[in-house]
Amino acid sequence: MVQPTYDSTPAVNGSLHSKGDTRRRHFRHLVSNTFARYYFLFSILVLCLVLALVIVFIGKTAMLLLGQISLADFFLSFNWTPEEDKFGAAAFIINTLSLTALTLLISVPVSVGMAVLTAEIAPAWLKRFIRPILDLLVGIPSIVYGYLGLTVLLPLLRRASGESLGDGLLAAGLVLALMVLPTIARISDDAITAVPGKYRDAAYALGSTRLQVILRVVLPAAGRGILAAVILGMTRAIGETMAVVMVIGNTPQLAKTLFTPASVLTSNIVMQISNVEFDSTWNYALHMMAFLLLLISFLLILVIRFLGRKRREG
Amino acid sequence: MKLFKKITFSALAAVFAVTASFAGAASAAGSLSGKITVNGSTALLPLTLQAAKEFQKMNPKVRIAASGKGSVTGPQAVKKGIADIGACDWDASIDVPGFKAFSGQVANKVAVIPFATIVNKNVGVDNLTTEQLRGIYSGKITNWKEVGGADADIVVITRAFGSGTRVNYQAKALAGGDIVKKEKNYKETGSSGDMKTAVATTPNAIGYIDLVYVSGDVKAVKYNGVAATTGNVINGSYKIWAYGYYMTKGQPTGAVKAFIDYVQSKKFQQGSLKKLKFIPISAMK
Repeated sequence: MVQPTYDSTPAVNGSLHSKGDTRRRHFRHLVSNTFARYYFLFSILVLCLVLALVIVFIGKTAMLLLGQISLADFFLSFNWTPEEDKFGAAAFIINTLSLTALTLLISVPVSVGMAVLTAEIAPAWLKRFIRPILDLLVGIPSIVYGYLGLTVLLPLLRRASGESLGDGLLAAGLVLALMVLPTIARISDDAITAVPGKYRDAAYALGSTRLQVILRVVLPAAGRGILAAVILGMTRAIGETMAVVMVIGNTPQLAKTLFTPASVLTSNIVMQISNVEFDSTWNYALHMMAFLLLLISFLLILVIRFLGRKRREG
Repeated sequence: MKLFKKITFSALAAVFAVTASFAGAASAAGSLSGKITVNGSTALLPLTLQAAKEFQKMNPKVRIAASGKGSVTGPQAVKKGIADIGACDWDASIDVPGFKAFSGQVANKVAVIPFATIVNKNVGVDNLTTEQLRGIYSGKITNWKEVGGADADIVVITRAFGSGTRVNYQAKALAGGDIVKKEKNYKETGSSGDMKTAVATTPNAIGYIDLVYVSGDVKAVKYNGVAATTGNVINGSYKIWAYGYYMTKGQPTGAVKAFIDYVQSKKFQQGSLKKLKFIPISAMK
């Protein structure tokens, strides 16, 4: 369509083109360049507008909650009983945090190990085999993971634990760990690969073993990149809905054990949003929970940006 | 929006008047035009879609847009003027547990929806009474042996608060009894499909669902000794059923009225509606 790069080839072949021809061409390039510039500007503005609208609309409805119940009630109460107008979200917030922590606890050691394997240890043919597989895993829709969790993981958990139901933080944590594992592994892999070869050479020259090189030199050097990968996995875990909803039990209460049927912010929103009245405290409370999720993910992304900048400086 | 509606309506009225006076003998149904928006219950959606297909074939100038979300969104959308018809699993013009009445709305019965109590296939119990179900859902009965089954914990699976199926099941099967959440062996699901999957895959589970969803991978139990079949609903012995409603703002008029009339007509009720495994409203008299 628009190919502004032509502009760089100077139109001075006067022997082939008449003067008017050149001028027309110049004009055409000028127009297409200007058009392209505004098109790109427009594209980014549309994106900014959408982001602003999301914040404004979710935030606006969320703020309506303030007139209905006190923020202390919302953040500190564990009693979520919409039929009695009790909207305490503390249980969901704590469940979200503990689910995310559990997910990272399971997935980070494994995925960093995989990243070390693909970046440092595996022979070239194995790397060529593992990397595309990890990329494929990233792309699997979450509902598929959720369904596998429901039909394969839950029966296994029931048998292993002796519980009758099996739903809860552990099931959700395992499914989420599987989901974020390829994300963390692939990005950590990139971070480790980006560590300059001279670091390794120097360490080997000083007589280090391979394990020492990996643990003492490569991993610390790639530390910030790996941290960014972990945070990216974390944002996915916090925002994940469909896979969680199928295995967590969806009961609005604090998860005291790994097998207590519970609910997190996302799963509670998706379970209830289709059954609420528009102008109700209930609806505002759900929007407030969505707004909270938005804030958490913004915060995490800011942290990633901050880490990235530090890395470039360092 | 309101003005636009007013114009549409007056245009519609004018078209009606003109065709009525000039066309005379021409079929009145064929002259209908306009757009009907139906919103609300997912349970009634298959019925609405089928009726819309047939109705539009007879009235090519009428466009019907139907979507399903949750029962309460039906009357809400009508209240806000977003939809002309709000499909709802309960009569939203009166108070039900958890939801206040929508004043000024008219409930038009369109179908009878039977519900069934279902259990996992490993459960040996075939029959449960109202009292036993109330005990199970309120958390007083926690083991299958208390209701004549094997010694195993009962896993209660329920729909989330606000679901139309839950409203009806609580009112009819539990006779208004409570559904109490528990720290163990209790799970909420978001849709009829999830409910069925959960009961089918969880040993010792009990749940409830629209009768049309019951299939070979779960077991429907008798209620007070009566099997959950459409025949038993019609002869009055099986009590867990409810009407499905089309809520409208005031009495329906114009194309909306014609559409509701069509859904309630003998042709549709005895034909497509029965094929979709709903029960005709006329069968309940």
